[in-house]
Amino acid sequence: MKIGLEVHVQLPTRSKLFCSCPTTAESPNSAICPTCLGFPGSRPILNRRALEMGVAIAQFLQCQIADEVWFSRKTYFYPDLPKNFQITQYDSPVGVNGSCLVGGRSIGIWRVHIEEDPGRIKRVGKSGEEVSLIDYNRSGIPLVEIVTAPDLTSPEEARAFLTELLVELRHIIGTSASDEQSVRVDANLSVGQERVEVKNVQGLRNLERALKFEASRQTKMLEAGMKVIRETRRFDEERKVTHSAREKEFEEDYGYIGEPDLGTFDVGSIARSLKPIETPLRRAQRMAGHYMVDFEKCKQIVLTSMAMADLFEALAERVDPEMAMNWTLGPISSNWNTLLPLLNPPVTLDIVTVVKHVADREITDSEGRRRIGAIAAGECPTDISCAVQDSLLDSIISKYLDENPQVVKDYTTNPRAANSAIGHVMKTAQGKYNSQEVVEAVKKEIEKRKG
Amino acid sequence: MSCGLSPEKLVRLNDRHHMFAELSSDLSALQEYPPRLHFSAKDNLCAQGFQARAGSRILEGYRPPFDATAVARMRSAGRALIGKTNMDEFGFGTFCTNSGFGVPRNPFEIGRSCGGSSGGAAAAACLLEGHMALGVSTGGSISCPASFCGVLGLTPTYGRVSRYGLIDYANSLDKIGLLTRDAKDIRTCLPIISGPDPKDPTSCVQPPLALDGRHVAQVAVPEEAIKNLSTGVEEEFRKALKLLEDQLGIEVRSVSMPSLQYALSAYYVLATSEASTNLARYCGMRFGVKGGSISQHFNDFFSETRSAFFGTEAKRRILLGTYARMVGFRDRYYMKALAVRQLIISEYNRIFQDSDLVLTPSMPFVAPKFGEIERMKPLEVYQADYLTVPANLAGTPHLSLPCGYHEGMPVGMQFVAPHWEERLLLDIADRWSCAFSYQFPEAEE
Repeated sequence: MKIGLEVHVQLPTRSKLFCSCPTTAESPNSAICPTCLGFPGSRPILNRRALEMGVAIAQFLQCQIADEVWFSRKTYFYPDLPKNFQITQYDSPVGVNGSCLVGGRSIGIWRVHIEEDPGRIKRVGKSGEEVSLIDYNRSGIPLVEIVTAPDLTSPEEARAFLTELLVELRHIIGTSASDEQSVRVDANLSVGQERVEVKNVQGLRNLERALKFEASRQTKMLEAGMKVIRETRRFDEERKVTHSAREKEFEEDYGYIGEPDLGTFDVGSIARSLKPIETPLRRAQRMAGHYMVDFEKCKQIVLTSMAMADLFEALAERVDPEMAMNWTLGPISSNWNTLLPLLNPPVTLDIVTVVKHVADREITDSEGRRRIGAIAAGECPTDISCAVQDSLLDSIISKYLDENPQVVKDYTTNPRAANSAIGHVMKTAQGKYNSQEVVEAVKKEIEKRKG
Repeated sequence: MSCGLSPEKLVRLNDRHHMFAELSSDLSALQEYPPRLHFSAKDNLCAQGFQARAGSRILEGYRPPFDATAVARMRSAGRALIGKTNMDEFGFGTFCTNSGFGVPRNPFEIGRSCGGSSGGAAAAACLLEGHMALGVSTGGSISCPASFCGVLGLTPTYGRVSRYGLIDYANSLDKIGLLTRDAKDIRTCLPIISGPDPKDPTSCVQPPLALDGRHVAQVAVPEEAIKNLSTGVEEEFRKALKLLEDQLGIEVRSVSMPSLQYALSAYYVLATSEASTNLARYCGMRFGVKGGSISQHFNDFFSETRSAFFGTEAKRRILLGTYARMVGFRDRYYMKALAVRQLIISEYNRIFQDSDLVLTPSMPFVAPKFGEIERMKPLEVYQADYLTVPANLAGTPHLSLPCGYHEGMPVGMQFVAPHWEERLLLDIADRWSCAFSYQFPEAEE
């Protein structure tokens, strides 16, 4: 089975693609202007932020990016399209010939381009007395279209691909999680020779359903010795079936020409100025390889939060990565909602120190869990912080050596001179520190003073 | 009457010549303005307080909620907009006979055409002393009527004047320019309407406008351009060449520009391709004329409105342009025409290495009678533009000046300058205006 997708995702800009209208609106037809209504005499002006987002996506998908791009007019008549042409990119997309790894397989990316969305048609009223209402708030909203090669092999894989793509896009351009419902996809699917296009499927779940239905429909037809005809079908969300669109008996001819009002744009320099960013799933791959830990667990961490991945990496630098993983997905994860807003470098250090003490068997597992719970509860770090306790130990030693300077002097000839200091500290700290720790700390301080 | 224009006289002239598609509803306010500060806008330029119908009945009732930048800049410079001038529907025509709102009549002889498509603008410029008419040229729509009505018509470099608020014919070719009796007025108004405008990105790449600093010493006359002229035009043009040499001391050189012969075909492919997409929006929804019953399939609804309200020439150009854009024809026509445009630009640049300006007659004949126009086939009408189209395709600035009179009708010549060198045209306009005496018809009937 071969599946190729054309994925449309809204770019999260504040204003529309070719005018300054806002991309959010409270009531129908309130975020509109002469440009996004196509009034005679109005003109488009490109929102550069949308172009930058398009370039960032193309770069992430490892596309070739041209130095210069332009826009084209795609002409067709529809009531939701104010100019009766859509400004899109035809012979000059932002990126071509890219690829994307999903579940260890490389999926080809044919092209990435940006375009304007048409308005939205709403049908209201009883059957037979239906009225179509048009809301142009959506007219001119920027979209990115990502076209894959027919490299996906099952509806499940198509859904997995799209899920992962959306995760990465959220990180790259700041789309929200609601994109899982709002993403719009045209899917091409072929079980045998001929492919069928299922148009305008909205949301991840519907995509998988539509593809499953279409795959089984084509399989049954082929098994029954029937021929699958090349056609465009639509997905009925309520009945969960696809049906022939029966709109066109011929391939539509959009008569593309260049958009003369916009000119050309130097995307080469935009691409060069973008810093490479590590997206969540790419980070999970790197973490799994670098720390030799399970990829699925890494994925779980990055999908929760990149901040959790930061914490995991801080831990994995200090303790065994397996242990870092268990503590991240264990006590840290279970306290995550309260911990996240408190996170800053000292708090991170506190957490690392707690786990380090557990690793060094200075405190028990359950004491470690208790301390992390306490940090998450926002309790004063001096009560629980090992980092602070370390400095407490140092201060007890310093105070004793200040009062008994001969200990340092004697130590040069007789290392046993340190014992008086060790004994004093063990007594003062009342068993808070194990002997090995105290011995090391005392010797270190004496050596320092010997200088 | 301080501005030199009485409302009564204006209305009387308009009844006779139909140069305005719409006159200001408050003409008496004109009296407040000092002389020579009135202007008009071609009907495809949006102006608040007026409809903007671009000569088309499909835009009946469209009142734009904004001013075109050129109109706004003229108003800010203290000028009064007295009306919207008549034009061929969307600029589609050479004789101004394709308007949905009457046909303007030539100031020199009312049985003859004003030229097109800025015919109303040229007639207003000719009939009203001190008047500045904003016109628009896509393929010659300023030079042609300027020539037929005996006025000066300047078409600036493509991108010099913001197109914001211009109802598009062909966006990559449309240029807003000036028609008037007086070279000095062009010098005054060109800086007003020029300059970058963030609302039209194609206006933002222009170098600053220079008005002085270069003098015309040589002009090149392409031998291809002086074939097929009517006897009257040829005679007057030759006299003008002699005057340029003898009185202005300008060297006139004969050159060959063989690629000019492809300009007309390339122009009509590009212009109609763009026009057919621009005109897609007119469908009886949102603005302009309201379509018929909405209880039908939208394809039927759109087609009904478009069939009823577009004129014949608009329909012809939509069909031509749609055909040229179709899969399979796109490379053969549209892409090839883009290549020809580059060829024409290089041809001009080659000539501009040795000559300051290129000079031809503006039109191959004087303003024709309406009866003659009726007998012309569409292709013959298109061919009449062969002298004005090349400079428009190249986007180079050009100026049509009256250069003689044949049996009482004005003959025009057209100078073409390199991109952004409007100052050469201003120089020749000043010098020619001193050496040659313009004639204007008596305005009173």
